[in-house]
Amino acid sequence: MAALIFSPEYGSYDFGAEHPFSPARVAMTLDLLTQLGHPPTWIEPEPATRDDLLTVHAAAYLDLVEALSEGKSVADAEAWGVGTPDTPVFPGMDLAGRRVVGGTLAAARMVAAGKATRVLQLGGGLHHAQPQRAAGFCVYNDLAVAIKHLTATGACVTYLDIDVHHGDGVQAVFNRDGRVQTISLHESGQYLFPGTGEIHELGEGDGRGLKVNVPLEPFTDGASYLEVFDQVVPRAVAEFGPQVLVVQAGADAHFDDPLADLALTTHDYERLYRRILDLADEQTGGKVIFTLGGGYSLHAASRVWAILYLVLNDLAVPRYIPAAWSQKWQQHLEGRPCATLHDPDAAQALVPQREEIARRNRVVASRLLEALSRYWV
Amino acid sequence: MQVRDIMTTAVLTIGPDATLESVCLLMHERNIRHLPVMEGGRLIGVITDRDVHGATSSLCVEPTPPRGVVRDAMAHPPKTAHPLDPVEDAARTMRALKIGCLPVVDGEALVGIITGIDLLDALLRLTGVDQPTGRLELHLVDRPGELARLTAFISGRQLNIHSILTYPVAGGQVSTVLRVATVETRPLADALRHAGFEVVWPPAKPWQR
Repeated sequence: MAALIFSPEYGSYDFGAEHPFSPARVAMTLDLLTQLGHPPTWIEPEPATRDDLLTVHAAAYLDLVEALSEGKSVADAEAWGVGTPDTPVFPGMDLAGRRVVGGTLAAARMVAAGKATRVLQLGGGLHHAQPQRAAGFCVYNDLAVAIKHLTATGACVTYLDIDVHHGDGVQAVFNRDGRVQTISLHESGQYLFPGTGEIHELGEGDGRGLKVNVPLEPFTDGASYLEVFDQVVPRAVAEFGPQVLVVQAGADAHFDDPLADLALTTHDYERLYRRILDLADEQTGGKVIFTLGGGYSLHAASRVWAILYLVLNDLAVPRYIPAAWSQKWQQHLEGRPCATLHDPDAAQALVPQREEIARRNRVVASRLLEALSRYWV
Repeated sequence: MQVRDIMTTAVLTIGPDATLESVCLLMHERNIRHLPVMEGGRLIGVITDRDVHGATSSLCVEPTPPRGVVRDAMAHPPKTAHPLDPVEDAARTMRALKIGCLPVVDGEALVGIITGIDLLDALLRLTGVDQPTGRLELHLVDRPGELARLTAFISGRQLNIHSILTYPVAGGQVSTVLRVATVETRPLADALRHAGFEVVWPPAKPWQR
């Protein structure tokens, strides 16, 4: 069983109808679970306070977001990454951002206090936010604030980022921190935002050897993804020996995602989630926090996250989806109703050069392991 | 522009058991500063003239005698590039690590080397990548107004272009690589395609054609 953290107020983190980071993604997931006969019950978190945010963010940046949030105009907001097409200003964005952070922080508090081992925060995962800069739809970095809380209680934390984009904000916050290992699997920054996440980014100072990046070729499929995951992740986590695992479970590595180029299916996601739970059982006594993240195909993300919920709660993954769900959300499904929870077999992506892609990923992973092994005693 | 376009393909290499004296003579004779170290057909390190000087100088804390061997003075494991890597990524790697060369490997095979000098040759055609951005690559027809049409299109979507690189390619076209401050590179590429631009990256997904 997993404790579920959620608030209907998360929906206020909304950049507008045309923006891909849509609250509908979570609403569709919850409704799907309800229609599948598993209506979720959740714990509603308090918004994070300004002091909570100050563990990660600069006071001047918080002042800026608060001012913009109240409708005041600020001259050079775009230099702070706010008011850009990716991360536009909206009224109340400060409180909306703090609500999201509050959820991930609540998950960290529950695990730190021994009140839960497995927690799903049905939101958050804003991994691009930097201490003094918004980026890529992310204003406040909920993951970094939650991890800071965990390390303040004395825990060592492994942060695992399966979003298709590099987890650059979280990596930057903990780049010199010897108590936090960050591992990000993502489409290579040579091709995709934010452009970082190369294998030579290994951390600095006390954090040297604890920042792990696995850049993947565009069109990487599930078989190659899971092969590289098995090659790198269990070994790296075992070498570090964390007490808690924090997982950013973005769903945008799915082949249907409109913003990226990897080719995972829902079946691959189910396998990936089971591997991560096994890893938590082996390394952290089961202590694991999952957040959401990217995932811009509403068709795919809602099903991927419903599967995440079912797997985390040790529930069977049903085959079919009630027709009423497709009807209710048809305006978000682009005229493509879903009959089954998993992708139909015919949807398996066929990439002509998949052998070459798998070979290149394998070489990257072995080069990475070679570099990391210098820091393993 | 990719690493294979600027690398030196006739690569001089050395074995790990060669003496530092012989390396010094070879570097002087061929006027080079970097040598990939090969053992059993596999790249295992890189030795530079600075490594040799540092290892043998009497000013060094623990000098190696001139009869010392490459294995003891080389940098390893080697940092490498792939022939299909964009040049800007190779340059960023070298700057971040403050190293003067990258052996170029394809699988296990050493196929070339790039040095700081090769990158200086490319400097006028390249700019850095130091902000969170997405990569967009297009082929424009080589005639007046095409680049303006492209930047006007992007400006119309209120997007900031962080860097723009152009260079001529075959067929009377200009390859244009932009780094745009957005996560939404793919929708932007689709819109550009719809407006008649030839977008090389990101391409349409193979399973959606």
